[in-house]
Amino acid sequence: MPKSEIRVGGLGGQGVILSAHIIGKAAAIFDGRHATLIQSFGPEARGSACSAQVTLDDHTIGYPYVKYPDVLMIMSPDAYTQFIGQLKPGGTLLYESDLIKLDDRLPEGVRAFGVPATRLAEELGRRLVLNIVMVGFFAGVTGLLSPEAVEKAVKESVPRGTEDLNLRALHKGLEYGQKLLSAGSN
Amino acid sequence: MKIDVFPQKVTLRDDSHVEIRPLDADHAPALLDFYRGLPEGDRLYLREDVTKPEWLERFVALVQRGEVVSLTAVAGDAIVGEATLHRSLHGWTMHVAEVRVNVAPEYRRKALGHALCREIVRLAISSGVEKLVAHIMENQIAARRMFDHLGFLQEAVLRDHVKDIRGKKRDLLVMSSDVSHIWHAMEALVADYSPTFGD
Repeated sequence: MPKSEIRVGGLGGQGVILSAHIIGKAAAIFDGRHATLIQSFGPEARGSACSAQVTLDDHTIGYPYVKYPDVLMIMSPDAYTQFIGQLKPGGTLLYESDLIKLDDRLPEGVRAFGVPATRLAEELGRRLVLNIVMVGFFAGVTGLLSPEAVEKAVKESVPRGTEDLNLRALHKGLEYGQKLLSAGSN
Repeated sequence: MKIDVFPQKVTLRDDSHVEIRPLDADHAPALLDFYRGLPEGDRLYLREDVTKPEWLERFVALVQRGEVVSLTAVAGDAIVGEATLHRSLHGWTMHVAEVRVNVAPEYRRKALGHALCREIVRLAISSGVEKLVAHIMENQIAARRMFDHLGFLQEAVLRDHVKDIRGKKRDLLVMSSDVSHIWHAMEALVADYSPTFGD
């Protein structure tokens, strides 16, 4: 599989870093690839801009910073504004469709896939797991992680007692992404 | 609510086996048989007349709407126990769910109630419930012990709140278990905040 550079963006409290961490963990620990993670936070615990850069490759990664991602996964309008211009032409945009409205700033050839992750998480009982819905959506649309690997990574990354709900959130996002792909939506 | 881990085979204290599984509409008539088989005194603890087909119809509708989760213990074709989780799907107590458990007399003292209750508590936590409550009459010693073991604490006593089969007024105990700490750990994990030290 070729090298993939990913940017995850959103607000503090949405679980941006955890979602990026799980993506990297699934690839590196359970899919046997290489992964790096760079994270940046705003000064507040919640509500400030927050992003992470993840690189996945079959080979050792020499430079972990991501300037122009192949995949942009965003969970807030501010993150869309901040990062959409950096997405590679022909790249993949994954976005929270209830929070973010797309406009003409999309780079050429970008494939955009939206998921109402917050709503799906609320339907499951907890808005808190919206980031895990996004991780599932990421796996379902991009195919960069095997479902088994990402499931194991979620299980190992969330607090004890919350595994069931997190796994349901993962599968919700995964299935949503797979259905969107098979329906040919864009 | 995640119920795809079922059916689960459970070995009881006397080495007999039952299967725990969610109630489905096909099996609903067996639930009516189960409740009709409970001693009259036990049925007094229940809030509705569970021997009537109209009750079953209403109950199955609640299960289908997701307002009630029903786990049954099945031996052969018969239901020998049931645990239910009652939760409001909107409003100010959405985070709270009530647990109710009933076991057939011949399956008591075998830890079946405990097994059912443990599974329903697990389902409750996984669906985001933060607080569980159970209502027990003061003289339901075994039920109280079971909830004690599962981490429930007595939260309130409603004096002379219920009448037993002889018409004697009894205290009703409200037991509860706060499971919100599990979700606090998750909240901390998604806070996206990494403190820095020094310059």
